[in-house]
Amino acid sequence: MMNAHTARGRTARRRMETKDVVLIALFSAIIVVLGLVPPVDLGVAGVPITLQTLGVMLAGAVLGPVRGALACALVVLLTIAGLPVLAGGRGGFGVIPGPTGGYLLGWIPGAFVTGLLVTVLATRPRSRLARQAATVVACLVGGILVVYALGVPWTSVSTGLSLRQSTVTALYFLPGDAFKAVVAGLVAHNVRQAYPIERR
Amino acid sequence: MTPRLSLYVPGDTLLHRAPASWKMAALLLAGIGMFLVTSPAVLGPCAGVAAVALLSVRTPPRQLARHLTGPFVVLALVAVAAVLFQSAATAVTVGLRLSALLLAALAVTLTTRTSEILDVLERVLRPLERTRLVNAAAVGLAVSLALRFIPEAFHRFHEIREAQAARGLSGSPVALLVPLAVRMLKSAEDIAAAVDARCYPPPAASRHADAAPPPARSPAPAGRTDEEATG
Repeated sequence: MMNAHTARGRTARRRMETKDVVLIALFSAIIVVLGLVPPVDLGVAGVPITLQTLGVMLAGAVLGPVRGALACALVVLLTIAGLPVLAGGRGGFGVIPGPTGGYLLGWIPGAFVTGLLVTVLATRPRSRLARQAATVVACLVGGILVVYALGVPWTSVSTGLSLRQSTVTALYFLPGDAFKAVVAGLVAHNVRQAYPIERR
Repeated sequence: MTPRLSLYVPGDTLLHRAPASWKMAALLLAGIGMFLVTSPAVLGPCAGVAAVALLSVRTPPRQLARHLTGPFVVLALVAVAAVLFQSAATAVTVGLRLSALLLAALAVTLTTRTSEILDVLERVLRPLERTRLVNAAAVGLAVSLALRFIPEAFHRFHEIREAQAARGLSGSPVALLVPLAVRMLKSAEDIAAAVDARCYPPPAASRHADAAPPPARSPAPAGRTDEEATG
């Protein structure tokens, strides 16, 4: 009771409550851990799959647009700070100008759009199946379309490949990412059923 | 069990002693500059300087090799693609530019403590605080909490994985991730209560006072230094 009271008192001064900061930190930790654990075999042949981007979509879909995007921004901050938080133990400044830097930065708007679409699409339908499908669609659009929209041109600038060639490179990862988006949608839907938190 | 949580290599070389803010500013400027230049005659020496800088750090060779193999495999693929699709000249330009940036960035990453980099980032973010978009204290809290939670989440992940495996659910990411996320969400309430009970973050006035002189670094909050997060 005391906690709820003080938390509300703090909101007046700073817009972000302690609990929001904790949730952001917790989800950024989930994103990092999903990159550290050996990849779960998802059965998509030939494509190296880590679960890290799954965590990105999950953050947006579970926490909502603002907190989800901030959780991703925190992972980017830790990367720049020189911690090996990305899949395969990568980290440091070098990641940003590299060919994959755009995908990393794309996580932030990607999680935001995922969260926004979940709020708009997945809270209204009555049927469980429709809500589930809407969450999956949100993860596909936010986690793939938005992330690639930043990642592909960035690769092109960074490597001198043309836009078309960068797109072809990205297509190699598309099946794995699509699979992850479906899993992320299902996980997010189940999590919100099991433990609903207010969205923002 | 828990992975090591910093790329920093202790040492006393010139780069180790240089202020973190200078190193980061130099890296940023070099990065912008190298994207504007396309001539290999300029980029070549740049890559050479970056390589010398990296070697001057005196990282144990095996560790250095481990850091460099992954990025250079990607770099090699990029160079091959550039030769195939464009021209050898582009491949040389891109290869030199990316290796120069990569080597320089690695040199800075290896010689700068995580806490120093975070201090610089906090100082950069502080002017933004006036716009009310960023709360530097909240950023500091989020960073230290995240460093504390990474081993915790890692531990929970394995716990759940073992429990699921015992029940024959080993292959399902949904069965793995739903309990992980739900457990993390549930603990958020308790952690927030604990943080509030300790009155963190401190009031703004005292923060600015202790963070003012750059050489005498303000004591980092618990869990923020590399060493503590490793344990």
